[in-house]
Amino acid sequence: MTIPVPNVTFHERVDAALRDPILHTALDRSMSRFSALRRAALAAFADESATRARARLIRAHTLSRLDAYLEQFEANVQRAGGQVHFAADAAALNRIVGEIARAHRVKTVVKGKSMVSEETALNDALEAEGIRVVETDLGEYIVQLAGEHPSHIIAPAFHKTKEQVGQLFHEKINLPLTDDPAVMTAAARAKLRWEFLNADMGISGVNFGVAETGSICLVENEGNGRLTTTVPRVHVAVMGIERLVPNLDDLAVMLQVLARSATGQKLSVYTNLITGPRKNDEGDGPAELHIILLDNGRSRVLGGEVAEILYCIRCGACLNACPVYREIGGHAYGSVYSGPVGAVLTPALEGIAQWSALPQASTLCGMCKQVCPVQIDIPRMLLVERAQATHAGKMAWWLRLGLHLYAFTATKPALYRLAAGGARIGSRMLGAPQQGWIKKLPPPLNAWTKTRDFPAFAQKSFRAQWEAHRARQDAERAGDSHA
Amino acid sequence: MRDDRAQVLKQIRAALQTAHLPAARAIVPPRVNVEQGSRAEMPTNFQRELEAVGGACYMASHPADAIATTLKLLRETDNQEILTWDDAALPVDGLGQALRANGYARKIVDVPTEGAARQAKLAELERAGAGITGALAGLVDTGSVVLVTQPRQARLISLLPSLHIALLPASRLYATMATFFAAHPDVTQRGSNLVFITGPSRTADIELTLTRGVHGPKYIHVLLLTWC
Repeated sequence: MTIPVPNVTFHERVDAALRDPILHTALDRSMSRFSALRRAALAAFADESATRARARLIRAHTLSRLDAYLEQFEANVQRAGGQVHFAADAAALNRIVGEIARAHRVKTVVKGKSMVSEETALNDALEAEGIRVVETDLGEYIVQLAGEHPSHIIAPAFHKTKEQVGQLFHEKINLPLTDDPAVMTAAARAKLRWEFLNADMGISGVNFGVAETGSICLVENEGNGRLTTTVPRVHVAVMGIERLVPNLDDLAVMLQVLARSATGQKLSVYTNLITGPRKNDEGDGPAELHIILLDNGRSRVLGGEVAEILYCIRCGACLNACPVYREIGGHAYGSVYSGPVGAVLTPALEGIAQWSALPQASTLCGMCKQVCPVQIDIPRMLLVERAQATHAGKMAWWLRLGLHLYAFTATKPALYRLAAGGARIGSRMLGAPQQGWIKKLPPPLNAWTKTRDFPAFAQKSFRAQWEAHRARQDAERAGDSHA
Repeated sequence: MRDDRAQVLKQIRAALQTAHLPAARAIVPPRVNVEQGSRAEMPTNFQRELEAVGGACYMASHPADAIATTLKLLRETDNQEILTWDDAALPVDGLGQALRANGYARKIVDVPTEGAARQAKLAELERAGAGITGALAGLVDTGSVVLVTQPRQARLISLLPSLHIALLPASRLYATMATFFAAHPDVTQRGSNLVFITGPSRTADIELTLTRGVHGPKYIHVLLLTWC
């Protein structure tokens, strides 16, 4: 188990998130900005649908030849003087990083943003060996100071208001209390500059590996990625095995859709292509480059029904578009990857048994598919995983009982009519519904209304309306024939 | 680790026997009609895009022009210590001489891989107020400056100081990243780091509020050299 299963249920976490007014302030402020940025970027993107279709083609093609592209990538990294390691699971990745750190007597690590390292809980593993780990992306730095984990793929401190960050900086780095993001950013720059210059090792994630050249591409806006991969003597890059593209032209396509979908930029501020360690005659850069390729369930997912989730390029657009994410934020999912992509990916990587609630965290409205830069059919896969959860016996007893009762009743017209009539009268006895919704049903039906509202029954059943309609039509027809 | 490699590749090959990969094709067809755009409009379009992302762009039609603009920009910082490319590599003849004449102390970016000398060098470089570079290319559709690490053209010059001045010959403008790659297929083999810089360093990690100059330069000024 690499992603720890939280000790409270999904519904309890959702309930807590919905009752957190500060979280809602943070989500509301950021969400409106995100949507505006993305709209503006897409409006300025003439070939949007053609480019997205091409990006999808590239991802699908790469995965269909993943073994060959991995070997080509590995050979080209080695040719450029880099070292490649395969890690079958999270523990293997953490062990490899630990070995490299020990070999270089590393005391302090500076880290760029990496979801893979969150997946393997790399920081905890290194700290257990007495190594100090400093997150350098501003959002990651904030969540690390707070002792938390990222709540959004590209904006880790999405769940925090500026007032909370000001308070945190005041407590942890002695910054006079402020709610000005520019002042807080300047303080973080000064703190982290010192860390960059004194760190022994840099750890980064990877957005894309280019098979044909053996390069890794890192996309970022702050410059912490460039510093992490340039100043320390050793650079360790961690990436999922699926994160390859065949060549530079394909990379150009992926970068076009990534920045626009992620942050509404045409291109991120720093798009780095790193090919091997520092060459002999170069004035800076790390003396060693290690690239670790993590499987951790991905090869299993590749052979299954939800392989398409591996097309994901981690832009975060589906999180921002999702009506569920927008209400509960990233932490309520309880998993490293949140939002629609996390709801599919987490059960796929870690097993449906522990994560059966996540595929339910969706209204299946389809916005995630619509905004996805590689057109991943997330709703289809949510349904696949819901079915898997049911087959794994993960359906709640009351839901199973309810569905059996419904099936029994619905196939017997007389019984159905009787039951529907009873329910209509019964629901009226519960008092007036609020705007067409019943907030609370009596036991055992309250299992449903604990987590959602139930639509009030219509005053008149469909059958009754249909019969009245037919009678009216018959009367009209009879009238016509007499005319 | 060797075992992990064999195991992972074996599992991938087994998975590919049954994999359901919508839209997968044996090849990705090559792109047609990669647009190059009108050369005449490139400088103004580049300028517009760079300014849109918070950078500044100046047209210089003569070396003396470029030198005067560079010296003026340098006065934004009262720091006399700067990082630059080699004189020979800078695309403006006489700039090195002008910098010396105006009292600028140029620090050589050559960081030792080990020892006390390494820390001393890094501390020295960190104090610099500005970095002056040439550029391998510029991308018109995004306003990006393209740099590749070369001897005496180190990465930190465009990264540590809060002011970055890039001297970009207008003949090195490309319409898009794709046309740049097409013209430089071996570019990744030339140096260990190729970077597309698109505007000043920025973050939006606190409530998505845009803030400039986080870890990299707060200001990027590009001089488009229209004579070369």
